[in-house]
Amino acid sequence: MTALVRLRLAGFLRTGRAVAPLLAGLLALGVLYGGGRAQPAEAYGVSAVVLFPVLAWQTKLLLDVEPDVQRRLALVLAGAARERAAGLLAALVAGLGTVAVALVFPWLVGGVTGQAEPGGPSVAAGVALGVWAHLLALPAAVALGALASRAVTGSAGYGVAVLALGAVGSLVLGLSASVAPWLAPPVLPVARATAAGPSPASVVLLTAWAVAWSATALAGYAWRRRARA
Amino acid sequence: MRWEDVGLRYHRRGPWVLRQVDLRLGAGEAAVVLGRNGVGKSTLLQLAAGVLRPSRGRVVDRPRHVGWVPERFPADQPFTVGRYLAGMARVAGLGGAEAGDAVRRWTERLGLGPFHGVRLPELSKGTAQKVGLAQAMLRRPGLLILDEPWEGLDAAARDLVPALIDEVLAAGGSVLVSDHRGETARLPGAARWTVADGTVTAQAPTDASPGALVVVEVAVPAARAAGAVARLRADGHHVLRVRADPAPPDAPVPAGGPPDPAPDPGAGGQVPR
Repeated sequence: MTALVRLRLAGFLRTGRAVAPLLAGLLALGVLYGGGRAQPAEAYGVSAVVLFPVLAWQTKLLLDVEPDVQRRLALVLAGAARERAAGLLAALVAGLGTVAVALVFPWLVGGVTGQAEPGGPSVAAGVALGVWAHLLALPAAVALGALASRAVTGSAGYGVAVLALGAVGSLVLGLSASVAPWLAPPVLPVARATAAGPSPASVVLLTAWAVAWSATALAGYAWRRRARA
Repeated sequence: MRWEDVGLRYHRRGPWVLRQVDLRLGAGEAAVVLGRNGVGKSTLLQLAAGVLRPSRGRVVDRPRHVGWVPERFPADQPFTVGRYLAGMARVAGLGGAEAGDAVRRWTERLGLGPFHGVRLPELSKGTAQKVGLAQAMLRRPGLLILDEPWEGLDAAARDLVPALIDEVLAAGGSVLVSDHRGETARLPGAARWTVADGTVTAQAPTDASPGALVVVEVAVPAARAAGAVARLRADGHHVLRVRADPAPPDAPVPAGGPPDPAPDPGAGGQVPR
């Protein structure tokens, strides 16, 4: 399976399609950190929100690079389950790269401060919360991008609609006055928690929420792919 | 492998492309899928490969390693021939050294050596088709599925296809070939599966018994005829006769006789050489 992950990552990087989402991510982060220095926990929480649609888009691009017939050839050689898992794993690896850039970026441009404010979390704790927020956003974004991929939607236009609705819906449903917040991955709730300094219970709850949402969405992806190769 | 009451439609409310397909393909057996364009030949092959799932019924006892050569090789990929085949060998589950050996063997066999460093989008259609053949053969398939394999291949490569089929069959594998140009006359031992109106009619091979013989006509330079005959006999073949005229004895004669009645001293009759 690692061979297929590597082949797909290579295809994604060599076609140059990796550039657009990375630039979009950097642009968004540039706007985010342009306002001056902030506490790491707070800044990273917002950064994860901003990156969520970018990571989903990146996943869709990565899964769509391969021609349909090549995806079927890989399926015949590797088996259906491994072919699907390899695509998701490649998207996860690419997403980790983008997340790493997002975590390092504010330190390079002076977007975060290295001095903890009195009474707030230490810098190390803030960074740890930031890593946590990004790692919760990534699988949910990969699941959304996979649901928007051509292998599921069949047509490019429909895929873009799924991606846009999913990203906007996740943000709208995640607002604090939302009537059905559990329909969306906990991207905004995590950002609010990191800014306020979360209790251990809320960390566990939000992690479980993100895992459950991602698992459900990925199960939906697997189910849709059963019928369409 | 067996098809049990297999039906397929592409959409839940769409028309049935195939209905009530009950077929069997044993180890060491080949079948040719015949039918008009768009009748469902490729669909049947993709069901066999496991690319499509039956909407009804099931396909069972599919061999573990399947090689599928699609009708059009997807050449729009940012890899060189060598890198692509090495990657696909690993995807098929071969180890590093095995994968290298397999790629070397098949690039050589299919005449892809000079294209090793060429990027896939720059290949001609026939060469890309050979890459498609190579990826299916890298790991010896228990089931080889060829969708119009002769399309775009030059004369030398066309002869390779029956050789590959023979190899897979000899190793106990099964072969499924679709063809709409009559090239599969080269596969006299294969069953005929005709697809029409959503159903498949299977017809046993014209010579069903494994001991059945066919006649293969071979042209060799006159000076090397004796050596060729000796080699063929050494391989266990029965040489029927040697004749001087290279034209097949049953070549079609144009209806209504030759258009030019003037005698041509160079053509026709037995010309001693």
